Amino acid sequence: MFNAVKEKSTRHTAIGAALGVGWYVSATALLSGSVATVAPAAGAIALTALVPIALRKWARPTSPHLKDTLLAQRMAVCNRHTMINVVDRNAKLVEVNDLLVETTGYAREDLIGKPIDMLYDDTGRALVRRIRRMLQRGESWAGQTPLRKADGSSIFTHTTTAPLYDDDGEWVGSISARTDVTQINKLMALQSSAEILNELRDEIWILDADELAFSYMNHASLDRLDWRQDGFRGRSLSDVADAEAVRVIGNACQLLKKTHQMNSRFDVDLMGTPFSVGIKFLPAAAQPARFLITLTDLTEARAQEQTKSDFISMVSHELRSPLTSIKGSMGLLLSNAAGELPDKAAELLQIAHRNADRLVLIINDILDLEKISAGRMDFVMEDVDLGALIRETDQANEMMRQRLGLTVKIEGTENPIPLSTDPNRIIQVLTNLLSNACKFSRPGGIITISVRDDAEKVRISVRDQGMGIPQKDQHKIFQRFADLENSERAAKGGTGLGLNICKAIVESLGGKIGFETEEGVGTSFNFVLPKDSGSRLIISQKDDVREAS
Amino acid sequence: MIKLLHVEDDADIREIAKMALDLSGEFEVVQCESGEDALTTVPGYLPDVILLDMMMPGMTGKQTLEKMREMPELADTPAIFMTARAQQSEMEELRSLGAAEVISKPFDPMSLADQVKSAIGI
Repeated sequence: MFNAVKEKSTRHTAIGAALGVGWYVSATALLSGSVATVAPAAGAIALTALVPIALRKWARPTSPHLKDTLLAQRMAVCNRHTMINVVDRNAKLVEVNDLLVETTGYAREDLIGKPIDMLYDDTGRALVRRIRRMLQRGESWAGQTPLRKADGSSIFTHTTTAPLYDDDGEWVGSISARTDVTQINKLMALQSSAEILNELRDEIWILDADELAFSYMNHASLDRLDWRQDGFRGRSLSDVADAEAVRVIGNACQLLKKTHQMNSRFDVDLMGTPFSVGIKFLPAAAQPARFLITLTDLTEARAQEQTKSDFISMVSHELRSPLTSIKGSMGLLLSNAAGELPDKAAELLQIAHRNADRLVLIINDILDLEKISAGRMDFVMEDVDLGALIRETDQANEMMRQRLGLTVKIEGTENPIPLSTDPNRIIQVLTNLLSNACKFSRPGGIITISVRDDAEKVRISVRDQGMGIPQKDQHKIFQRFADLENSERAAKGGTGLGLNICKAIVESLGGKIGFETEEGVGTSFNFVLPKDSGSRLIISQKDDVREAS
Repeated sequence: MIKLLHVEDDADIREIAKMALDLSGEFEVVQCESGEDALTTVPGYLPDVILLDMMMPGMTGKQTLEKMREMPELADTPAIFMTARAQQSEMEELRSLGAAEVISKPFDPMSLADQVKSAIGI
């Protein structure tokens, strides 16, 4: 490695040339970012040239070359451009130039005689120890170091450090020249971020929060708006050629600013394309307040959603038509429409018929789940008597109840309980809960449906005397396909979807659903509904899904 | 006897519905396999009630009913739709078009006759 400065004659004769050439090479390399490869040599030559000035208040006699006016002027420029410090062999600062004092914010007397460590954090100190070992070996070092300022903040400097020797060739310390590269680093990071953002398919806008003027726009956005590469400069949101989208996005920005909220997300059509828009408010910090806006094109997602919906509708229709024939034929056979069946044949046909019913339920459930996922669950609100809905549900399930030898008791419906809700959906929930209660009851058991009528809400519970829900399954009882992971429950013939759908329906109507259970004693599912569900409908009603046959 | 026109593209379902309605002994059933077929049949056969499948190739059940409503002799004939499963709001729309009932598929063949009679108030 470099060791030229050990020779006094070499050092002194190099000074003139180094100031004129060496420093130029070094400084150019620093600024060009190629320091890593050229700095050890060039930097050391330059620093050798700087030594006499740096040490003029220390111990070194002034070189006669420095009396040259031109050289002195060059050194003055260097002194303004570069932070310079000299440390002794004990790593204590013995000289700092004005620029270092000015940049770090310390007073000169706070630095002189103090360990160089005071200018570094823990990471920097480890680096200093490593550099020091190199200097002791006669090697110079160049690279980036963080430098801690008096106010606790840090800057990044590109530093070249070279060893110093006395007239006898003994190592006496080192000299460092530093250039503040904090802003360059930031710019490079920004440029790198911008290049990454340009690779995104999503469209990115950054807007000044006061004027809604664009300060950045990635390539995807520029292409969409048909603006040239830096076409966003000097333009604001109002220059986007879609007045309605501009109004919606502008309003959302103003609302964020006004309410001091950070994020907003909504869908909007921009120039004929559906977008999901995310706005993040970036409050004023190092830069003025801005809005970071991401626009995700929903065209493909919507098409996929429609394809999925169409597929499910199609599958539903295609399954229902043969099921209509299968169930119809079996129903007619079981009714002896084609003559009396032998007992064994009738029994087998019953099994087939029951399972065809189950298939219908599964298809219904899958369709409901699809509607819930797409936010298309349909609600038709009516003023109804809850008691009548409960009795209707009970009657519809009479056959199942009789087959299993169960008794259903209905309590709390003696007086009419007026409710504004979707009666078909409530019957769907009640049927599901009653069907579950039947399936998990012991033969001869009692199922109690009770209603508590409060001022603004009603609480309905369906209680069985069955096996209860094991502790380990309780947390997932409202999850999809919860039954199917439990062979004992799956054997009861559930689809594993019913309770998930019940939860979605009840919550869409502004209510809540829960359960209480005790193993071996029974389970009580209960749900609370506001008496006026219409005003609390949660799921938005989009276009109908056509599933008709 | 109640004169019933059944429009359904699925031959199996036509057969099951006819058998179920015949069992009751109260219906005279004429069947068509499409809306277009039904429109050519009705001038010569005026039913008391029309049983219409909702989705068929060509004219849908809804379009078929709309065309029938343009015929003065069928303007008030009760119509019942059969559907694999319409959205509730769609069922409401069908009722508002004058559908006396909307029967979901799969239907129970043994109660089909009663459902039809109930829908037309018999």
